[in-house]
Amino acid sequence: MTSSGQMKKDNTSPEAEHRALPEGYGGTEAALLPRDPNWMFVYWEISENARKNLRREHGDDVFQKGRQVIRVYDMSDGNGSRYFDISIMHEARSWYVNVQEAGKPYCCEIGLVLPDGRFIGIVKTNTVTLPPGRVSDVTDEKWMAVTADFDKLLQLSGVEYIGKGSGEVAKSLAQRWEMLRAVFSRASSWGVSSMSSQVLQRQPEQQKKFWLVADCEVILYGATEPDAFVTVAGRKVSLNPDGTFSMRFALPDGLMDLPVKAMSKDETDSREIDIKVTRTTNTDGK
Amino acid sequence: MANNEKGYLALVLHAHLPFIRHPEYEDFLEEDWFFEAMCETYLPLLDIYERLTAEGTDFRVTMSLTPPLCNMMADELLRERFRRYYSLRLELAEKEVVRNRNTQFYEVAKMYEAKFRRIRELYEDYYHGRVLDGFRKFQDMGKLEIITCGATHGFLPLELRKEAVHAQIKLAADDYRKHFGRGPRGIWLAECAYNPGDDVFLKAQGIRYFFLETHGIIYGSPRPRYGVYAPVYCPSGVAAFGRDMESAQQVWSAETGYPGDHRYREFYRDLGYDLEYDYVKPYLHQDGVRRNIGMKYHKITGRVQLDQKAPYNPHEAREVAASHAGNFMFNRERQIEHLEHFLGRKPIVVSMYDAELYGHWWYEGTDFLEFLFKKVHYDQRTIKMVTPSEYLSLHPDNQVVQPSMSTWGDKGYNEVWLNGTNDWMYRHLHKQVERMVELANRFPNADGTLKRALNQCAREVVLGMSSDWAFLMTVGTAKQYSTKRFVSHTHRFNGLYEQIMGNRLEEGWLKDLEWRDNIFPEMDYKVFSTGEMEKAAKG
Repeated sequence: MTSSGQMKKDNTSPEAEHRALPEGYGGTEAALLPRDPNWMFVYWEISENARKNLRREHGDDVFQKGRQVIRVYDMSDGNGSRYFDISIMHEARSWYVNVQEAGKPYCCEIGLVLPDGRFIGIVKTNTVTLPPGRVSDVTDEKWMAVTADFDKLLQLSGVEYIGKGSGEVAKSLAQRWEMLRAVFSRASSWGVSSMSSQVLQRQPEQQKKFWLVADCEVILYGATEPDAFVTVAGRKVSLNPDGTFSMRFALPDGLMDLPVKAMSKDETDSREIDIKVTRTTNTDGK
Repeated sequence: MANNEKGYLALVLHAHLPFIRHPEYEDFLEEDWFFEAMCETYLPLLDIYERLTAEGTDFRVTMSLTPPLCNMMADELLRERFRRYYSLRLELAEKEVVRNRNTQFYEVAKMYEAKFRRIRELYEDYYHGRVLDGFRKFQDMGKLEIITCGATHGFLPLELRKEAVHAQIKLAADDYRKHFGRGPRGIWLAECAYNPGDDVFLKAQGIRYFFLETHGIIYGSPRPRYGVYAPVYCPSGVAAFGRDMESAQQVWSAETGYPGDHRYREFYRDLGYDLEYDYVKPYLHQDGVRRNIGMKYHKITGRVQLDQKAPYNPHEAREVAASHAGNFMFNRERQIEHLEHFLGRKPIVVSMYDAELYGHWWYEGTDFLEFLFKKVHYDQRTIKMVTPSEYLSLHPDNQVVQPSMSTWGDKGYNEVWLNGTNDWMYRHLHKQVERMVELANRFPNADGTLKRALNQCAREVVLGMSSDWAFLMTVGTAKQYSTKRFVSHTHRFNGLYEQIMGNRLEEGWLKDLEWRDNIFPEMDYKVFSTGEMEKAAKG
């Protein structure tokens, strides 16, 4: 206990609270919890009574001859006709279950697989629908008109940061912040009228009013047959009705590779133009 | 100049602490979390709102004040203990001004003296110990929108029973009405943890909107047309606003965010360790162990050892906060101009933060906010600050999207609250909820001692549901305390449950628990009944 407190003298009734929690609650139950798009947590409890009944029904050695498993059902069709088994020990009482397909409903059943392949279910969990973990394929009519912009929108929304810890986020942002820093290296000098910092009010420093902001982006444009299929850096581009296209990219320091590929509608002809852009930013801010 | 803004900025501060109150101890370490946040964040924010209002600077901010926080702010015992806390700090600060005359620490010593005097003035003269009235005042002016949160910051996607989800939301809405005189329009789902479909329980309480991490919106279905730069409506009609990562990272990033500036105050060099022992001892806890006392005289300085830190210069730091506010606004202007051009619609940029980041972790963060409010008001026309309610009344037409399950925790889903350090909790928590529902269904009209016992059962269940316990186990801070809290509430609930079912209630023990765990004085256990949940779910 990290607390520094001293018990009030008149209130030292013994607490029953330093006891450990019960191992279980004497029933036969199981529950399934979602962790992320590909992982679930299942916990279970099998009562002595339930075990007795199983032995009575299937023989005293049922737990020895049967393989102890978690049967994981894909509930997409409503009745779980697709499933797989994970071998476990029932004594484990909980397990993390990995599934390949995100975005689906799953249910687990703790049970035994007999040597002849028969499955004896002991207890079933609730059904959990995992998150898809990716952008939806479902688009509405309205959306179709702006499909080509969606990737850009994702970037603006920071989708590349999803699921990263703060350390990684910081890393992936470092480049951008370095740029911001380079641009704003005279950070304390923006002339803003409501700058009510006491120091500034007292000592208005004229020379600090001078400032410079600069950044750079790249615009890529082109044209082809209006019905061609065009990609830029592997991403599909929507063409304007006249076959022209243009995209605007942020341009961080370093090399940027922008291969442009076009394929004719009948897929018999293709053309490629590879554009490389290099940016180097130097500032006198030091 | 009206209506020529290019987009909106909604600043959302999530203020929350777990319910920590230990009347059984004279002096309790973890209660300091609340007192520190009062001195460093909550009262300084009110101070800003007071000053801006007096100056005639209009501003908009959205703040969650979670039910545990509201209950602590309103609690008689904690109010008394807070008085003791700030009085001791003020006494020390006054001594320090004398001690540091003619030293390089004189300015910072004076800063603390002024700060704690202002705390006293706000707490006593402005609000008479009732800080919630202070927040309510600015809400009634339309400048601050206070939103609620699950009753005890419960982590809803890991609940099995919808009765528990309903109870967290209903208790929160009732508590909000009691403190603020009207229903909540918005809610901060604890940890931004959203489980598809739970929004029907928000709707049942008249809640119009909540907030999501970026991918909660982006991974929604169908694809959200405007990304996170416009809210979406869940199928229930409750709106979800998504977090803007660019503005989040600018402030929040440990390595490159504003708070790391070397001229800002160093958090880890604290007077509790620096001062001569006998001199500082009266300001430590009763066990006499040196700990942080919240007064710090040094700046970050650079990547140097703690003993190499240079003296803090309050004026210099304030200037840096002003320039960071300018930088933040400049970036939002460019971002909003760009988005407006790109989207063909006025975007809303939702910048969400833990309130305690401002002032507590980033000491100058409150100055930063004050400068930001002023600059946005006086210096530009691109951005209009709004509350989510204002936005929804300006732009009621939004796309219908089913958002994805998501949280704002590490990796974006539930792992922070469900991993090897804390997964053992859930079988106990779920059993308590199941039993609580059973009790509520079985006793639709209890009275007398039984009713009191049932209400206390409900208090113990909701206290155990706090996401804070699982979180603290994961990060390893106060792990013992959080484990003990969860175990205690579980034992208390199970004990009461057995006594009720065995018809052998011990009133003395019940009274003791009522005295300890007094959150939600108006608790009505029937909130856990299946009938109430179903009624709410139907809408």
